[in-house]
Amino acid sequence: MKDLKELKKIEQYADSCIKCGFCTFFCPVYQEDKIETNVARGKNFLIRQILKGEQKFTKEMQDILGRCLLCKRCWFICPPKTQIDRVVMAARAQKVNEKGMGFIKRLIFSKLMSHRKLFGLFAKIVQKFQWIMPRTEGNVRHVPDFVKVMGRRNFPEFAKKFMRDRVKPVYESADGKPAKIRVGFFMGCLIDFMYPDLGLKAIEFLTRHGVEVVVPKDQNCCGIPMSTNGDFKTARMLANKNIEAFEKLNVDYIVSICATCSSGLKDYQKYLPENEEQKKRYEAFEKKIKDINEFIFDNLKIKPEDLTLKKEFQGKTATWHDPCHLVRYQNIKDQPRAILKGLNGLKYAEMPNADLCCGMGGSFSVYHYDITKKIGAKKMNGVKATGADIVVTACPGCMMSLEDSAIQNNMPQKVYHILELVE
Amino acid sequence: MLKKSIINELKYIVGETNVLTTPEALKAYSYDGTTDWQHEPDVVVFPMTTEDVSQIMKLANKEKIPVTPRGGGTNVSGGSIPILGGIVLAMTKMNRIVKIDKENLSATVEPGVVLQDLTIALAKDGLFFPPDPQSFFGATLGGIISENGGGPACVKYGVTKQYVLGLEVVLPTGEITRFGGRTIKNVVGYDLMHIFISGEGTLGIITQAELKLNPLPPAKKTIMAVYNDMADAGETVFRVLEKGIIPGKIEFLDNYIINRVEEMVPIGLPKDADAVLLFEVDGIPEAIEKEAAGITDIAKQYGAREVRPAKDQAEADQYWTARRAGFAATFGKSPTVKNEDVTVPRGMIPDLLNKIKEISKKYDVTITVLGHAGDGNLHPAILTDRKNNEHYERALKAMDEIIESAVELGGVVAGEHGIGLEKQKFFRKTMDPVAVDLMIKIKKLLDPNNIMNPNKIWD
Repeated sequence: MKDLKELKKIEQYADSCIKCGFCTFFCPVYQEDKIETNVARGKNFLIRQILKGEQKFTKEMQDILGRCLLCKRCWFICPPKTQIDRVVMAARAQKVNEKGMGFIKRLIFSKLMSHRKLFGLFAKIVQKFQWIMPRTEGNVRHVPDFVKVMGRRNFPEFAKKFMRDRVKPVYESADGKPAKIRVGFFMGCLIDFMYPDLGLKAIEFLTRHGVEVVVPKDQNCCGIPMSTNGDFKTARMLANKNIEAFEKLNVDYIVSICATCSSGLKDYQKYLPENEEQKKRYEAFEKKIKDINEFIFDNLKIKPEDLTLKKEFQGKTATWHDPCHLVRYQNIKDQPRAILKGLNGLKYAEMPNADLCCGMGGSFSVYHYDITKKIGAKKMNGVKATGADIVVTACPGCMMSLEDSAIQNNMPQKVYHILELVE
Repeated sequence: MLKKSIINELKYIVGETNVLTTPEALKAYSYDGTTDWQHEPDVVVFPMTTEDVSQIMKLANKEKIPVTPRGGGTNVSGGSIPILGGIVLAMTKMNRIVKIDKENLSATVEPGVVLQDLTIALAKDGLFFPPDPQSFFGATLGGIISENGGGPACVKYGVTKQYVLGLEVVLPTGEITRFGGRTIKNVVGYDLMHIFISGEGTLGIITQAELKLNPLPPAKKTIMAVYNDMADAGETVFRVLEKGIIPGKIEFLDNYIINRVEEMVPIGLPKDADAVLLFEVDGIPEAIEKEAAGITDIAKQYGAREVRPAKDQAEADQYWTARRAGFAATFGKSPTVKNEDVTVPRGMIPDLLNKIKEISKKYDVTITVLGHAGDGNLHPAILTDRKNNEHYERALKAMDEIIESAVELGGVVAGEHGIGLEKQKFFRKTMDPVAVDLMIKIKKLLDPNNIMNPNKIWD
């Protein structure tokens, strides 16, 4: 009998479920196949059975645990607010404790992604060989047709030069005056490898608004891929490395333009602490983290009408996609909308189901790409209904997934990070 | 355990992917919205067509396998628990809205359609299906019809049985049959359709339904009345109706619920009030203004210390969110909650409320009250803990006494949740024995092998 250590920590959350079934309506995965094991209520029930010793981590159980996007859409409507994200992640962690990670995941998470230099080297090799993947259009490539298992999935290509190789350690405020705010910039993997221009644009934007930006070299992956897969040990190691990297810099805030990263950094205190001291340290770190949307709006207090819309977007209609990690993990939904609605020359149209997950769910989409595609198609129906020319969001993960969905559904709309719209 | 050959036959009927037999899946179909009841089936089957259901029933009838129909699994009386094992017939994949007929004000639906999906689809055509069980995010039409569900809107609009024009039913022996039709009036022979509405899935499987719809009212208005004595609130309910105003909804929240809701979503509910009533009037804008003014006057006349009309829809939405949160407020606060569904004639509401207060004192247990006061349907909930024997005993006694009091006042044990397993022990006590006998005979006639949702309603 194992100690069920990770599950004991979340027992109270699992017990709060009243089995009302409201989650069924909001769960993107359940909506696709209508099977009870795929929805929060079913998972939660089975996890409680594990706690009671009446259920084991069978292969089927592991598969069931994998079928959650962690989008928290069910939590939002849940009457007793059952924290299903904690329950599912703890169950995955418990499984890792008992059964191990699985060779490939362990290799990727604890040996590759968690080692900054090695991961960069690996990404460079991939970059060199990405010509294997045929080009769909622009800088989007797809899985070759002969690899049938994954469908014809489209990806943005790796950048020629990564952000880490292009940044300076310190950027002073552009007006030459002493900066009113000093922030640390957190890159995250996708910005580093795939969207470095966007990262540099963010830094330039911040310095232009009187902010001094420092970019520590020894920052790492935020740890979300590990913690969501139950590898709390590696995630904790990364949390500690990241905190160390920023702690000594004496910054007022730490800003990220990736919704998943900013939420990941904020939530170290929620998922990872093993003792009180660690909890306090993670909580202090959380207070410094700002997603770019809240930072522009709440901290810099920039008025949307003072921002300049780039020429290419003049007269266009935009619609906003809420990344799960923004709207539910960080309760950031009004700020980006205010920016889009306030930008001179841009029209805004709200899409139905703006808060519906794009379907990616990180590694979920690797194992369940068929479901991802169906959810993506629903998302695209929402986009179509608005008649919007462009889809705007603030998470590189969502951008990848939405771009793929648009191509899969033969739609002309391009996907942009909100920062790409402004000068 | 079912024979391998039977599982194979089921797979042959509905296809491999529509038959679940893993221990995990069986566990996930062992429960519904109740706290106490749980039993695993031997197999979960998802039919896709009426023909599938018919073939499954023929097989089950031949092999004498119990069959429990299940929709969204939101039942709160244990009706969808496969208490004898066997087959859970999960209707969730038969979820097409077949037709919305604007001219006839009717819709044809399959049983697995979730109420909220129907509501959204109908709203596009300016229509609505009035019965509104508060489990609408999960509840399916098949279950709502089988339980004759209701909700807040029933004070003005009535319950599900008033909105079913026709049913297609697969009988326990596998025959496919139709009752009613697409018309409002229909007096051709015995009205057998209605025994399937509120049959709690014990007489057959509903495979298609013709629903009666209403046009969406053009305007709505919400009024909150605050009371120092809950009995006054109870009186206001029937005084308003007696004076000729029929609001769309009249909902009741007691002091306990008000405070828990305020803790969760602070919207400025009066924390010291003994009770509040929420009224919603709907209809033509000029008419509802007059109705709202009328309610305000009557509420003040019968003891409301304050009457607050919501100034806009946003404020109204807040009040209704609070009302919905009331349910979580009760369930979240106690390890075990015994939720009641008693219903009394409207004039008896003040007596029932006073009686509940007395019972709460007598047995020293917290009893919260929330409910659809407008139709006399209250949901007193007793907060207890099954692990604390002594407390639990008292809670059960209190529950018995609430039900006895409701029946004495001319009411019934269940208004909208059904009997299922949860209320079984009160069934014979509160029903006419001749009627019970007749029901048992009807059940035998339709289901000779007692395979259709067996052991429900009566023991």
